[in-house]
Amino acid sequence: MLDALTRGTFILRRSVLLGALAAWAASPAPVLAQTSGNPPGRASSAPAFNQLRIIAPAAPGGGWDQTARVMQIALQQAGLVRTAPVENIPGAAGTIGLARFIGAERGNGDAVLVSGLIMLGGIVTNESPVSLGDATPLARLTGEYEAIVVPAASPYQSLQELLTAFKERPEAISWGGGSAGGSDQILAGLIAEAVGVSPARVNYIAFSGGGESLSAIVGGQVTAGINGLAELAAQIEAGSVRALAISSGERLPGLAVPTLREQGVDVEFENWRSVMAPPGLDREDRERLEATIQAMVQSAPWRAALEKYRWIDRYLAGDAFARYVDAEESRVRAILRQFGTGDAKPRTLMSAGPYPVFVLAGLVFFALASMAGPLRGTRPTRASDPPAVGRVPHSEEGGPAERRSATPIGWLAAGILAYLLLAERGGFVVASAALFWFTARAFDSRRPYRDAAFSIVISVSAFLLFARVLQLSLPAGILAGWL
Amino acid sequence: MGETFQALSAGFVNALTLPHLLWALVGVTLGTAVGVLPGIGPALTVAVLLPVTFSLDPISAFIMFGGIYYGAMYGGSTTSILLNTPGETGSIATAIDGHVMAREGRGAAALTTAAIGSFVAGTLATIALTFFAPPLADMALRFGPAEYFSLTILAFTTVAVLLGASVLRGLFSLFLGLALGLVGIDQLTGEARFSFGIPQLLDGIDVIILVIGLFAVGETIYQAWRHGRDEIHAVTLHDFTGMSREEWKQSWKPWLRGTAIGFPLGVLPCGGSVIPTFMSYMVEKRLSKTPERFGKGAIEGVAGPEAANNAAAAGVLVPLLTLGLPSSATAAVLLAAFQQYGLQPGPLLFSSRPDLVWTLIASLYIGNAMLLVLNLPLVGVWARVMLVPRPLLFGGILVLASLGAYSLNRSMLDLVILYAVGAIGCVMRVYDVPLVPAVLGLVLGPLSEQQFRRALAISEGDLSVFVRRPISAVLLAVAVAVLVGPRLLKRWLVPDARAAV
Repeated sequence: MLDALTRGTFILRRSVLLGALAAWAASPAPVLAQTSGNPPGRASSAPAFNQLRIIAPAAPGGGWDQTARVMQIALQQAGLVRTAPVENIPGAAGTIGLARFIGAERGNGDAVLVSGLIMLGGIVTNESPVSLGDATPLARLTGEYEAIVVPAASPYQSLQELLTAFKERPEAISWGGGSAGGSDQILAGLIAEAVGVSPARVNYIAFSGGGESLSAIVGGQVTAGINGLAELAAQIEAGSVRALAISSGERLPGLAVPTLREQGVDVEFENWRSVMAPPGLDREDRERLEATIQAMVQSAPWRAALEKYRWIDRYLAGDAFARYVDAEESRVRAILRQFGTGDAKPRTLMSAGPYPVFVLAGLVFFALASMAGPLRGTRPTRASDPPAVGRVPHSEEGGPAERRSATPIGWLAAGILAYLLLAERGGFVVASAALFWFTARAFDSRRPYRDAAFSIVISVSAFLLFARVLQLSLPAGILAGWL
Repeated sequence: MGETFQALSAGFVNALTLPHLLWALVGVTLGTAVGVLPGIGPALTVAVLLPVTFSLDPISAFIMFGGIYYGAMYGGSTTSILLNTPGETGSIATAIDGHVMAREGRGAAALTTAAIGSFVAGTLATIALTFFAPPLADMALRFGPAEYFSLTILAFTTVAVLLGASVLRGLFSLFLGLALGLVGIDQLTGEARFSFGIPQLLDGIDVIILVIGLFAVGETIYQAWRHGRDEIHAVTLHDFTGMSREEWKQSWKPWLRGTAIGFPLGVLPCGGSVIPTFMSYMVEKRLSKTPERFGKGAIEGVAGPEAANNAAAAGVLVPLLTLGLPSSATAAVLLAAFQQYGLQPGPLLFSSRPDLVWTLIASLYIGNAMLLVLNLPLVGVWARVMLVPRPLLFGGILVLASLGAYSLNRSMLDLVILYAVGAIGCVMRVYDVPLVPAVLGLVLGPLSEQQFRRALAISEGDLSVFVRRPISAVLLAVAVAVLVGPRLLKRWLVPDARAAV
C-alpha cells in the first residue's frame, strides 16, 4: 500500500507528468496552458536562480502560506527559478519566522520571507526584538481591504447609525474580529480615533480565527464585525450580513458598498502582504531579487492566481515600499499603544488576573494533597488498579522477571540527547538512526548490527515519507545531496 | 427531499467514474497513512498537498481531500489501540479501553469495532449532512460565547469518569493541564502570559505535543524502565471481523449513540474532536450496567468514541458547505482549497456549483465504504504489530513521534518540550496519576476562560448572561445533573430496592 502511495505521489510531484495526469483526468489545466504561452525569450533564457527558498512565517493554510505557495508556482512556471521550496516557520504572528530569517539568513541572496501588515502588529504586541525594517524590503505584493458589517437582523442600517450609537456609549457596541493586535482590531482603533473616541474604549471581541469571528458576526453574537473582504464576500453576497463600509480609498468594482471616507470617516486601510530579503545583501544580489520579483508579478501564472484568490495587485517596490513600511509601522504602533497592548507593564502574578491565580493555586494544592496520600499509605494497591486512564493492569506482581533500573533510562537519554544535537546539524536521517539505535539498546536489545540495519531503513523511509510524500521540509543535513 | 435525492444521485454518477474513484482511493490511503502517523493530521496534509493539486480539476481534488479527511479519522485509532500512542486528540478516548483490549489479545476486536463504528457513524452523519445541513447550521449560529462556555463546563464533567482510584491525583492531572494552558498569548488582549520571554512559547504549548509526549514518549520511557515486561497475549480472532457475538451486541448501541453525540457537536466549533469523544465515553460509562469494566477493556469505550469522532468530522462540513464558515483547522484549509479554485464557499455554493458540492458529498459515502473495505482485512495484520520485537517497535515509535512533533512548527524547542513532557508522563504512570485529565485541561481550559471573558465583555460584565440565555442555561443544568445526578438517583433508588426485597 505504501509502495503504491509513494509511486502515486512521485507522479504527482513531477510537473511534466502532472500535465499528462491532469489531461487523463479529463480536466482542463489552465495554469499549465498559460505557462506554455509565456513571453518568448523568457523560457529559453536560463533561470536567474537555481534555487530560491521562500520562507512562510506561518503554518500551512493561512494567507502567508498561500502567498508563498503561489509565488513558488509562479516563479517555477514562469521559468524564473528552477526550484522554489517553501519553508514554514510558524508562530507569534510571524515574528518567530522574522527573527529566524534575520538571524540565520544574513547576506544570503537566495532566500525571501513573506510578510505583511499583521507582522507589524505582532512585532508591537509581542515586543519583538527584531522589526520588519531589519530585513531588506523587496516589494509589497497584494492587499486586501476590510469591510465593516452588521448581522442581517441588526437595527443599524448605515454606518452613520452605528457610529452615532458608538459615540454615545462606546462600550455598548461590541466589535467582533480576528486575533488581538491583528488587522481587524487595528482598523477598529483607527475608526474610533477618527470619530473622536479613545481606542481604549472600543469593546473589541477577539476571536481566534476567521471562521470563529465570522460565525459570531453572522449569528448576531456581536453588534458589528470587522473582517477581511475576501472572507466576508460570500456572506455579503448572500445577504447574511449587511456591509456598511469598506476600507479602500475608492469604491471597488462590482461591490455596492460605500467607503469609510465618503461617509465622513477619514481612514484608508488595507491588509497588505509583501516579500522581504535578508539583511546585509550586496547590491548585485538585491537587484537580482528585485528583478525576479518584478518579473514574477508580471507573469501569467501570478496574474491567474490573483484572479483565483481575488487578491488585489498592490505591487510597490524599492524605496517607495521601504518608506511605506516605515509609515505603516508608526501608524500601527500608535494605535496599538492606545489599545494598551505592547506596553511594557510590570507583570506580577496578581496582575495576570484571577483565573491564572486560581489554576496555579489548584495545581499546588492537588500536588501536595496527592503527594501526602502515598506517605500516609493510602496509595491503592496494584491489584485494585484503577481504570487509570491510558494504563493497563500489570501482571508484574512477584514475577521473577520483574526488574526496574535506571540503565535503560540512561540509554534513552543518550539517544534523545544525540537526536537534539544532530537533528538540525547532521540532518534528520542521521539523528533518527541514532535515536532508534539507542532506544533499541534501552530495551535490552543485544543485537547491535540488526538494530543498526533497522535504524537506517526506518529513518530513511520515515524521512522520505515526511519530506517527499508529505512535502514537509526537514533538514536533510549531511545527506542532503543523496536524498 | 426529492430534489436532494436527484442532486445526490447526479453526484454519485459524477463520483463513480474511474478517475474520480482513483482519486478517492489515493485520498483514503494517504489519509489512513497520515492518521497513523503521530502529529500529522488531515489539515497539514491537505495544506501541503494544495499546490500539488493546483492543476487538477476541483472535483478530483475535493474527492481526494474528502478521502484524506475521513481516512485520517480511521487511521488515528490504530496506533491508539495497538500502541497506546494516540497521535491526535480525537483518538485519546479510544486508547483508554482499546489498548487494554489489545494487551489482552483482543486488539483485532477493538480495531474492528473502531472501523465499523467509524463506517456506521461516517455514513449516518453524511446522510444527516445530506438532508439536514441548513437547519443544523442555523442551530450552530445560536451558539455565542456564553453557550460555548457552558458547553466547556459540561465537557469538564467528563473528567469525573476519568479520575481513577484517587480523586486527588486526577484533579492534580487536570490542573497540570490547565496550568500548561495558561502559557502563551492571551487571545483576548494579545498579552503574553507565562512565556518567560521565549518567543516560541507565545503561541502556547501545542496540544499535539502534549499528547505525543505524554502517551508515545511517556510510554516508551516507562516501558524501558520496566524492561518491557508487560505481558502480551496472543492475538485471537473470532471470525474474519475479529469480534465475538457478544462484542457485536455490546457495540451497536454505542455506535449509534456516538454518532448522535458526535455529529451535532462537530457542527459547533469548540475544541475539535475532544468534546464529542469524551462525552461519548462518559455517556457509555454512565449508561453501562457494569461501569467498573471501563478502563479495563470495555469495548463500548472504543465503539462510542470512535463513532463520535467520525460523526464529528462530518459535522464540521455542515457550517463549511452551507455557510462558508470553517469550524476546524481542516475546514479552514478546505476553505482555502475552495478559494484556490476561485470558489467562494458560502450560502450560495449549493446553488452556484451544485455539481461540485454533490459530487463531494457522494464521494464521502464512497470514501467511507472504501475505507471499510480497505481496513477490515488489514485488522488482523495490524493486530500482529503488537508482536514486533519491543526494541524495534519502540525505536520506531520514538522516531516517528519526534519527526511528527518537529514538523508541526519546525522548532527544536518543541522537541525539548516533547521529551520533557514524556519524562513527566513516565513519572505520572509510575505514581498512578491518570494522563487524560491533563489533556482535557489543556484543551478545555483556554477555551473555557476565553469564552467566559468574551461573554462578559459582550454583556458588559453582567454575569447573569449564562443563565438568561436558554441554551446556556440548559447546558449548565445538564452539567450539574451529570455531576450530582447519579448520587441523587442512588439515594432515591436504593431504599426502594430494599423495600422491594
